[in-house]
Amino acid sequence: MLELRGVARHFGGVRAVDGLDLEVNEREIVGLIGPNGSGKSTAVNVVTGLFPLTSGEIVFKGRNLEGLPTHKRLQLGIARTFQNIRLFGQLTVWQNLWVAQNSPQDRAQRGFFARWLGGQRGVRDEIAQLLEFSGLAARQDELAANLSFGEQRRLELARALATRPRLLLLDEPAAGMNSEEIAQLRDRIVKLRSRGMTILLVEHVMELVMGVTDRIAVLNFGQKIAEGTPAQIQNDPVVKKAYLGGA
Amino acid sequence: MLDLLQAVSDGVLFGATYALIGIGFTLVFGVMHKLNLAYAAASIGAAYCGLLILQLGAGAPAVAVFLCAFLAGGIIGYLVYLTCFHFIPLANPLAALMATVGMLLLIDEIIVHGTQGMPQNYPALFDDVMLNAGGLTLRGDLLLVFVICVLCMAGLLALLYRSKLGLATRAVSQQPVAAQLCGIRVAKVNAMTFVITGLLGGIAGAMIGAAIGALSPVITAPVTVKGLIVTVIGGLGSIPGAIVAGLLVGGFENVFQLYRGVTERDLYVMLLLFVFLIFRPGGIFAGKGGGH
Amino acid sequence: MEFYFGLAQIVGVHTLLGLSAYIVLLTGQVSMAQAAFFAIGAYAAGMLTVLAGWHIVPALGASALLGAVTAGAVGFPALRVKGLMLVVATLGFGEAVRLFFFNFDYQVAKGGIKLGPLGAEGFRQIRFFPENGWTSADVMLFIWVFVILIMALLWWFDRSRYGSVLRAVGEDELAAQSVGVNLTAVKVSAMTVGGAIAGIGGGIFAHYTTHIEHNNFNVLVATFAIAYPIVGGLNSVFGTLAAVIFVQAFLIEGLRDLGDWRNLLFGTLIILAMNLRPQGLFGRGRA
Repeated sequence: MLELRGVARHFGGVRAVDGLDLEVNEREIVGLIGPNGSGKSTAVNVVTGLFPLTSGEIVFKGRNLEGLPTHKRLQLGIARTFQNIRLFGQLTVWQNLWVAQNSPQDRAQRGFFARWLGGQRGVRDEIAQLLEFSGLAARQDELAANLSFGEQRRLELARALATRPRLLLLDEPAAGMNSEEIAQLRDRIVKLRSRGMTILLVEHVMELVMGVTDRIAVLNFGQKIAEGTPAQIQNDPVVKKAYLGGA
Repeated sequence: MLDLLQAVSDGVLFGATYALIGIGFTLVFGVMHKLNLAYAAASIGAAYCGLLILQLGAGAPAVAVFLCAFLAGGIIGYLVYLTCFHFIPLANPLAALMATVGMLLLIDEIIVHGTQGMPQNYPALFDDVMLNAGGLTLRGDLLLVFVICVLCMAGLLALLYRSKLGLATRAVSQQPVAAQLCGIRVAKVNAMTFVITGLLGGIAGAMIGAAIGALSPVITAPVTVKGLIVTVIGGLGSIPGAIVAGLLVGGFENVFQLYRGVTERDLYVMLLLFVFLIFRPGGIFAGKGGGH
Repeated sequence: MEFYFGLAQIVGVHTLLGLSAYIVLLTGQVSMAQAAFFAIGAYAAGMLTVLAGWHIVPALGASALLGAVTAGAVGFPALRVKGLMLVVATLGFGEAVRLFFFNFDYQVAKGGIKLGPLGAEGFRQIRFFPENGWTSADVMLFIWVFVILIMALLWWFDRSRYGSVLRAVGEDELAAQSVGVNLTAVKVSAMTVGGAIAGIGGGIFAHYTTHIEHNNFNVLVATFAIAYPIVGGLNSVFGTLAAVIFVQAFLIEGLRDLGDWRNLLFGTLIILAMNLRPQGLFGRGRA
């Protein structure tokens, strides 16, 4: 579904991503790990179009994404969450989800007028489903800034889901979570996959990565140094060296 | 051709005052990431305060007036800091902006009240001196204005780059939280920034008065607008940018006046701003705050 | 009674001015150009009723259209200019428009006298209301019909997805983009709507004062335009209305006895208001 071919993103002299080849197939959960500064977040940023590519190409469902602005990529079905949560703090939970409802599926269901100027009643059902899935139904009228950290993380995910993506890029969703929350997140990710979602999971928290992914790619200095199943990666000496520092 | 060069030379000399005003706006922006819209008005206000010295002794020398304006500027700068930035939480930038607008209106009205709206004569030095340089006439008073402004800029740069306060200021402008963790009192640095820019502004206001020969409350608005234009053209947060831009705007303004007269002059200065915004939105030397 | 009608007229027109800035402020753009669109609306409507004999309602329609088109045109380059630079850029634009009208002559002889804008003199004899027998009360009601309609429109926007999207853009453009919001479309649309509202306000202004000149659209007016929504709080349109009433009714008229001193008080009151209630009169409680 998603193919990165020779993708490079340089910031002046810094080669954040340097010749990355990666494939994510439909309904796969692929993990992207690596030490700090290895280029994981940059990889997510170039896929969503926040940064243009220095070289290489990104193909999504057979379509080259070159030159497409971020909001158009959302229309194609690529959504992401942010590592350092970026919610609309002054909007309620409900409104945060509402803002994200502009996908092609939404357009098919409602005309321009209804989508932009219609009231809340028209979308009550879809948003209720999202709230239910994320366990936020009780907090729907609370300002996002007033939510607890765990709730904010759940809202961040729910909002990405509100755009009805086919591919979900999760940028360190487990950061700062305790074991119980990680287990809940793991369940949610598995449930999403069973509903047909494809997921690229950028993460540091090994508990989550090893437990939920089909395949893991390891980055170091912007390049892929290893790829395989969780078991393979756990035993790979190259990976261990990258994380622990070489002799 | 000679007329043109004369216009440019006069304009550039006067432009040094715009540069100082621009520096004031840009320094506050660089350190606090906020715009102090009251700055130009405060500078003119300080210049008026300079005149108060004449109340004490009608024969007071011009230098005394300038000095008084200088000091008044620092005090007014601190007052602006207190009323518009010290108490308003960081999360409400619009409120701070609006407070500076309130301050701008207040200062303007105080000036109008204090002078009954009548323009006041401003002392100048060397206004009877005319130097000749290859056919160009250089007015003594304008030259002095230029020199004083340049000295102030040099003083400021020395302060910023060779003093502890300057180091602290630069640290706060880059990473306020980390600066606090290093023991720097951010509030104190912010207050000092306002005092220092206020001192500079006092001189700038006094020099504007000296160059024109008089002060009037109606110049507050154009000086504010032009000062902001200088800041933007120079790049928000860039002091060298403000210096170059100030001289540039001064020079161009005079040239526009030469060819199109006083009534259309300012229109062209706006156009100059738009040209820069289109082709170099980051400013001449794109300052780090350019994309804020 | 006349006095109160006059006050209501001023409050109405200033509310329109404030509302034109309100919608733009929601997207995080601080525009000092609203007075410019106000000016364009004023001169356009005046010229249409005085020189072309139009009725005021279509003239206001033209004002709205011109305001919208100009604002839309300004909206695009404004996208390239971020944050406080936008303040300066729009300030410059506003001044440029004012200077344009300072130099603008377009006079037509009508029944023996010359009518139309005359540079620094301004545009006199915009007499549609008196010539058609409108009383003060009529004018006041006319103004308030527009104010109520526009407030209702903006209130409706606020409760719709468009309102949430506007505010999302104002809060975090990156996040908004990343959930599929087309920033350009949203920001330019807000500017355009603001321009239309300012245009209507300006057109009405020209007719109830009957004489307009460049200084009616200066930096101070541009400042009032953004002051109303900021002081009133960006949470609802009623905040802007409250701020206009507060400023115009209490300050300027209520303190009339203080004579010259009320101007001093005005600046002081803004400073106090912003220090005591930085989120605005109607802002969501956070201080």
